[in-house]
Amino acid sequence: MSLRILKAGLQTTIQSRPRVGLRHLGVPASGAADPLSMALANKLVGNPACMAALETTLNGVTLEFREAVSFAITGALAMVRVNGRAIELHCSSRAKRGDVLEVGATTRGARSYVAFAGGLKADAVLGSDSTYLPAAFGGHAGRALKRGDELDLRSATEVSERRTPEQFRPPISSSWMLRAARSCETGQLRDARRLFEKKIRVGNRNDRMGIQLQGETFTTNIEGDMPSVPVFPGIVQCPGDGSLFILSVDAQTTGGYPRVAKVTRADMHILGQLRPGDSLSLIERNDSVAAIELREKHAYWREWLPDIAEVI
Amino acid sequence: MLSAGDDLISISVDGPRAAQSVARQLRAAADWIDVVAGIDSVVVRFDLAALDREAAGKLIQRASIEAFEENLPPAEHYEIPVTYGGDFGPELMSICEHLQLSKSELIELHTAREYEVDMIGFTPGFAYIGGLDPRLDVPRLQEPRVRVEAGSVGIAGGRTGLYALQGPGGWPLIGRTSFELFRPNSARIFTLQPGAMVRFVDASHQ
Repeated sequence: MSLRILKAGLQTTIQSRPRVGLRHLGVPASGAADPLSMALANKLVGNPACMAALETTLNGVTLEFREAVSFAITGALAMVRVNGRAIELHCSSRAKRGDVLEVGATTRGARSYVAFAGGLKADAVLGSDSTYLPAAFGGHAGRALKRGDELDLRSATEVSERRTPEQFRPPISSSWMLRAARSCETGQLRDARRLFEKKIRVGNRNDRMGIQLQGETFTTNIEGDMPSVPVFPGIVQCPGDGSLFILSVDAQTTGGYPRVAKVTRADMHILGQLRPGDSLSLIERNDSVAAIELREKHAYWREWLPDIAEVI
Repeated sequence: MLSAGDDLISISVDGPRAAQSVARQLRAAADWIDVVAGIDSVVVRFDLAALDREAAGKLIQRASIEAFEENLPPAEHYEIPVTYGGDFGPELMSICEHLQLSKSELIELHTAREYEVDMIGFTPGFAYIGGLDPRLDVPRLQEPRVRVEAGSVGIAGGRTGLYALQGPGGWPLIGRTSFELFRPNSARIFTLQPGAMVRFVDASHQ
């Protein structure tokens, strides 16, 4: 045993790379909701970008180290302590056997990532270590961690201290802009221009499946359910009650609601940091601009994260 | 062809069979991230960092033409034993009441035909099975369940839905099967595939 969970938090799971090429079997992507932050944590401890790490939700996690290992925390803004003493985000540290790490509640953003040098051991299912909660597979027995859980590391190692350079620390805000393209049913939306103009509030229904938006409602010309259509993370649905719903990493593979926008690939990682009450604007992008912006973003990040195309 | 997003292309087709055929051709033709068939469309996710939309569109066009010339392998046939009602089919009695059928009449209608799997999707391995007797048409649940057990059998909107794994779900449930729908360690993880033919049998008669 390498780690023992003392306080599991709201929803702490092991996440790694997404599952790809399996959506036609109904298998969702899963993987880190904010893969950029996960990759940054892994980078600090010398791991590949998508090595299995812990993803916490809103109120963190407390764990005890049962062996010496280097670790790092990135993602949401939160107080982090080792044996009661504050440590910095975006900076790798060495833990001794018996040390207690406490990742506190987030003050901005929703999810923290804790990576360990050498990586966590996890159940690999359908090509990934990532936990998929609804069908209970991957990660740690397919479920969120509980108090008392014992986790193993593949090979606990210690690395020299490393910090994320300032320019590679993603800003964590409470007022977000997400670039989004039009989707199949955008043209059926009444008053489509409003979609890309108004500030919308992030609602309380917010998990790894998707994020409900509140404060502005929309209607389409489509009546009743559509025949099942393929959907993907990033698709913005407009259900009958008019509250937009952004599909996230665990989203189902088909759905019956109009698809009125899609968050661009370049900005997908932001979804993992939206928290209830945040404000959000969708910024319209046509497909060719979205492609250019993705390449620009890759070029920027590649300097620090060579495997950025696996992440964003 | 229609854009479904910055890295998504949607192709309209005639129905579930055409959708599956186009999707199969596309998967064979190039290295897409995902190719997913719906009831009357197929959506392709391409690698926006490596391929531009125009090139993706050309590959899709070629594959869609080949789909119409596809020779299908003979359909597989399966018998799926179902335990109807009780804890396994909590909506069976209310459906019977709604449709003014007795439990045995409902089971008789449901087991009378051989059905085709139209589509796999929604959640891992979930099978949409078409061709239900029009006398069995019921709507989905108002409030979806957070958790439906693996093997559950539901009916809604003229189709039977089969839950290969536990997960959320909004189909009224009439029974459950012990048939092995999920085989995580085999080359084909989900037993049923689109195009397969299934017949439900009343497990209490076996």
